[in-house]
Amino acid sequence: MPPGVLGGVKVLDLSEDIAGSFCARLLADYGADVLKLEPPGGAALRRMGPFHQDDPHPEKSLFNLVLNLNKKGATINLETTTGQALLKELVQRVDVVVETFHPGHLESLGLGYDALQELNPSLVMTSITPFGQEGPYSQYLGEEIVSYAMGMIMSISGSQGRAPLKHGGFQAQYEGGLNGAAATAICLFGMENGCGGQHIDVAINDCVASTMMATQTMYPFMGGTQHRRRATGQDFTYPMPCADGWVIVQTGGGASWEDIVNLFQEPELLDSRFSNTDERALNGVEMDKIMVDALSRLNKWDLFAKAAEARILFGLVQTPKEIAECPQLESREFYREVDHPVIGKIKVPAVLFNFSLCPYELRHPAPTLGQHNQEIYVDGLGYSQEDFCRLRQLNAI
Amino acid sequence: MPQLPMEGIRVLDSTYVFALPYTGALLSDFGAEVIKIEGPAHPDTTRNSGLAGSYPEHDLGDDPWNRPSTYNLLHRGKQSLTLDMTDPRGRDLFRDMVRVSDVVMENFTPRVMRAWELDYPNLRKIKPDIIMISNTGFGHGGGPYSNNPAQATTLEGMHGHCWVTGYDGDGPNRVGASFVDFLSTWTALFAIGSALRYRSRTGQGQWADIAMYQAGVMFMSDYLMDAISNGRDGERIGNRHPYRAPQGCYPAQGDNEWIALSVGTDEQWQSLCKVLGREDLAQNARYADLLSRQRNHDELDKVIETWSAERDKYDMMHQLQGVGIPAGPVLTGKDVHFDPQYKSRGFLERVEYPEERGLGSRIFMGRPYKFSNTPLRIRGPAPTFGQDNERLLKELLGIKDDVYQGLVQDSITAEIPLAGNPVPRIPQERMVELGLMAAWDPEYRERLGLS
Repeated sequence: MPPGVLGGVKVLDLSEDIAGSFCARLLADYGADVLKLEPPGGAALRRMGPFHQDDPHPEKSLFNLVLNLNKKGATINLETTTGQALLKELVQRVDVVVETFHPGHLESLGLGYDALQELNPSLVMTSITPFGQEGPYSQYLGEEIVSYAMGMIMSISGSQGRAPLKHGGFQAQYEGGLNGAAATAICLFGMENGCGGQHIDVAINDCVASTMMATQTMYPFMGGTQHRRRATGQDFTYPMPCADGWVIVQTGGGASWEDIVNLFQEPELLDSRFSNTDERALNGVEMDKIMVDALSRLNKWDLFAKAAEARILFGLVQTPKEIAECPQLESREFYREVDHPVIGKIKVPAVLFNFSLCPYELRHPAPTLGQHNQEIYVDGLGYSQEDFCRLRQLNAI
Repeated sequence: MPQLPMEGIRVLDSTYVFALPYTGALLSDFGAEVIKIEGPAHPDTTRNSGLAGSYPEHDLGDDPWNRPSTYNLLHRGKQSLTLDMTDPRGRDLFRDMVRVSDVVMENFTPRVMRAWELDYPNLRKIKPDIIMISNTGFGHGGGPYSNNPAQATTLEGMHGHCWVTGYDGDGPNRVGASFVDFLSTWTALFAIGSALRYRSRTGQGQWADIAMYQAGVMFMSDYLMDAISNGRDGERIGNRHPYRAPQGCYPAQGDNEWIALSVGTDEQWQSLCKVLGREDLAQNARYADLLSRQRNHDELDKVIETWSAERDKYDMMHQLQGVGIPAGPVLTGKDVHFDPQYKSRGFLERVEYPEERGLGSRIFMGRPYKFSNTPLRIRGPAPTFGQDNERLLKELLGIKDDVYQGLVQDSITAEIPLAGNPVPRIPQERMVELGLMAAWDPEYRERLGLS
């Protein structure tokens, strides 16, 4: 069995949030040895719900369970001089640091990229923050909704006449994490290619903005500003109610408009008023009425099967419970069972994508708080058992 | 100055629509040589469909397939080669290209590359250390949905995002852009960077099988765990937050102008009351802590709206952020071009086109990150259809002129697409009237200083 594709890469994960933890977890999933460093009281992630069986115990945060998968864990108090010295020792033994502190915070502790790079010239440091490290707003505070607002996506989500609508969940945080991991992998290869160490400055707002291709380019191409969907007449390509749920239908793929009309079992849709994109936009109110009426007699999984046969672009709105039991994800071994020391055996979403030679490997459950302190500080850095106890007493770890 | 991270890497980008073409664009920014491959009768969807975005000055021009905004964003810095993969000669040329490349990307439904004998086991025989990236809706393999056609629009329902996105009390919704595409864009970058490093260490290539559905599901991890552990099935809470209040998107001064803000701590709540000029509320037990503010959120929304509707969205951001409250204006596709933070990060880049393209200069998004040691730039405009056919086939593959002329003759390669008609344009004013555009600014060229 070959090691993971990132085998041999050593990472320190200083982050307390979703973005940084997800970034470092992806590196761990694909073979990097990742050490999660938390403050002695535990990272903020441990206080975030949902919790396993609704028990708000610090080892039962489900965010912590999932996002620190495959990492080892130790505590460190960066607010103490001793903790700072420990970090400087650890930094010399790794390739990557992932951090998501407010811009300037690490510098204020003497642990900014320049200081760390002096200790480790080929260090890649991946910083993920809402606004980025520099610029007039870099000291401003971010939040999910602020990233969606300033990343343009809200300006075109929701309906006209109502407030712009945000994504559900923590999409911006995950976006920041995935971009951080991608940029880190690129820079790690760049090092093979002679680029040297890098400070990667990821801005979460800019990640959200990067998804806005048609929206951004509309202005410099034709002076236009995109809008949210119309309050009526634009249900097609959005979730539409059927007899037992919600479905989304789209033109394209291998199917003709006639195929779609057959799926709806409604010949009236063959009318020239609905024959192309612009006609459908102009006559959307009528078309939606006909479609919603037709769908009210049809079931989502029947439609799903028929659409697949006719090669129609079709989706149904699945709920988290349905996705947790999805046979397609099962076939791709997306979920893995992890045995966590406090939670026990539990199924977790694991595999972002499948590699042929270096497949995903589940190596550790999320560490309990300070689980690997002994291994890191005594076995790794060579502190005596007495000094190790002293570090704890000094509140440095 | 060190070289760029991907310098010396050649990528065959045989991909369509949004997800992996965008990966190719970013790889070009990183210094790779990216060759976009399309069929003469199978031009990219972004060249002529509803996915094309906008046309320069809303004008289809003489070569509409080279002009759309989305095509030009997604293919910046690439070369263009057209090959008819449905013909054995086209596939042979593709194989010859693979022999001299490092990475191959494709996003056909799983059966296509298999039928052409261009799937990973076959490409590996030609080039043992090739790195291949496949992106499909549901992934390769024997799964029940593996052969279903899919695009981000329909996948957004499948991967659960629609279920948790929507106004409180309303049905499931979709966000305005094809969200899951970009998750594959970035996943592919991660896979390529990792696999290239592995290859440089071990000499071995590999195949990444990316499924957009699976990537989308990954971004729902917290909801999935709540379902698995607690049997909870997610819910729609509009613009609110599970453990912050008040949070929302409120009207600002002007037409369709908005501000988003989010209060998490009691201290932020006290500051908000001061900003609102409503110190009376700061003392009110109905809003004293997070739980009570969540219970009485509707009342707080009204108070905030009354204040926000009269004020400029940027002024409100500065005022709220000045007292430590996360807030930001809803920026439109126009606004970002004038935003000081995006400007200072150099997020938007100007690309100059050669005279004959008739596009002048245009502005495109760069990347959401900066590298300290190797500053990145968009390296050039998107190519015209088949622009590099002759040079690549002759110089890279050593094809003789008479053979090349035969390929042109038989439409194995072409410089004008043999299929695909642009959708006719609706006049700009009419688009605004119909709600297909929020606004139209005829002065955009002057405002942006476009040549």
